[in-house]
Amino acid sequence: MHSDGFSKYHPLTNFLFFLGAILFGVLFQHPAYLLAGMLCAGIYYVLLQGRKALKAIAGMLLLLLIVALINPIFNTQGSHILFRLFGRPYTLEALVYGFAVGSILVITLLWFGCYNQIMTEDKFTVLFGNLAPSLSLLLVMVFRLIPNLLSRARQINDARRAIGKGGDDLPLKEKITQGMAVLTALTGWALEGSIVTADSMRSRGYGAAKRTCFQIYQMGFGDYLVILAAVLAAIVTIIGAVTGATDATYTPLLWSAPVSFFLPVYCIYLLIPTFIHVKEVLQCRIFISRI
Amino acid sequence: MKKSTIATLISLFVLIPATLLLSRILPGRVHYLTSTLVIVYILIPFFLSFEGKKPSARVLVLIAVLCALAVASRAIFAMLPNFKPIYGIIIIAGIALGAQAGFLVGAVSAFASNFLFGQGPWTPWQMLAYGTCGLLAGLLYFRKDKLPRDPVSLGLFGFISVLFVVCPLLDTSTVLTTLTVFTPTAILGIYTTAILTNLIQAGCTLVTLLAISKPMLRKIDRIITKYGLLE
Repeated sequence: MHSDGFSKYHPLTNFLFFLGAILFGVLFQHPAYLLAGMLCAGIYYVLLQGRKALKAIAGMLLLLLIVALINPIFNTQGSHILFRLFGRPYTLEALVYGFAVGSILVITLLWFGCYNQIMTEDKFTVLFGNLAPSLSLLLVMVFRLIPNLLSRARQINDARRAIGKGGDDLPLKEKITQGMAVLTALTGWALEGSIVTADSMRSRGYGAAKRTCFQIYQMGFGDYLVILAAVLAAIVTIIGAVTGATDATYTPLLWSAPVSFFLPVYCIYLLIPTFIHVKEVLQCRIFISRI
Repeated sequence: MKKSTIATLISLFVLIPATLLLSRILPGRVHYLTSTLVIVYILIPFFLSFEGKKPSARVLVLIAVLCALAVASRAIFAMLPNFKPIYGIIIIAGIALGAQAGFLVGAVSAFASNFLFGQGPWTPWQMLAYGTCGLLAGLLYFRKDKLPRDPVSLGLFGFISVLFVVCPLLDTSTVLTTLTVFTPTAILGIYTTAILTNLIQAGCTLVTLLAISKPMLRKIDRIITKYGLLE
């Protein structure tokens, strides 16, 4: 996503934000915080994905409903019995609890959906390249090899088709045999190629000295500003959580702490990428209108 | 002692008990977080020892190729949407390269394929499950002649390990995210609803190993002997 403002920030800024958002999302079970989390994550998800997001969100809400409806079947605690299922009580409290747990699941899915858009593999390796050099190199090579292997697999497929093997409308057994033949052919080619790659790496000095990391991202003023804002909001939210502002229980009795000013602070934290995204879009509009 | 050994010991004997203790003290639904942390602590020693060994270029590329094959295999079978040969390839990697490399191939393929199909709360569980698959294969078959290595017995091994080790590990992640009480009936309920998909996965592994374990193992073994890779 090139149009997103937040993805232009340093990978560390991105990573820290998502780490906090997902941690808070998993830990808080106060209904107001769950609702806030779902809305904030949902808004950013829609901003990132556009129309595609709505379909995914519909799927997630269905999942939420399933988790919520199934929960009272297993969890029979609670004082308001709605009806009896197979002789076991189906309680209101357990149903509400199911909705809460389903919401937690949806919040994590939404944040991970945004994370997948922002934290691409290059950003991930920039972040962890110095911590685990061999592993990040391994990961980079895997990402390079996958498209390589797939295009080679297409060539093998075409060649096989030219001699009358393979095709689209085959019985299941034939399809599997054909796929396996391609896979073994690919293995042989990839393994021989790996030795050539390795020798080429060694002759260019792999392992001769400490490898440095190619850094395309620089921490700028904006990054420090965003991190500072996020850390401040996170600290206030954590204080709220420690003092019990985010507490809620569902079974056996429904109870939640009164909503306090910690909730808007939590929302500010979650809306940071949305603010940046909207600011960028508005700036772009203004610049275009001046032309 | 090497730095990686110290880190492994700290991770296994200090961090894991501390995290488990913390999950008993803290209120609320922290169990998902703490269980994920425990998985991370289990993964760290494997990764550290790989880093500590400073792998040679040839070993590094060989492992990368096997991971890429595992990830790409799903796309090669795109005409059969539910067919996933990934476990089969991880098992073959474990048999050919040993337990540790097998674990690495499994964990890295899970992680890499999630960059294509989406990271989520399931990522650590997948890394652990796929890694265990390669680890088991390496422990049982690497440089051992006691167990038969013909395609049928390897296929059966794959079927059993996927059905009873890999899939239950993945389902545990579902159990922890969706349940509010952990009674035996509730947990069994989740595991049984998943049994059909798990059987399909195990069947795919069986078919994969029946069809390609022999040629693939021969090819990898040949490269290893020809270039003296594991010495």
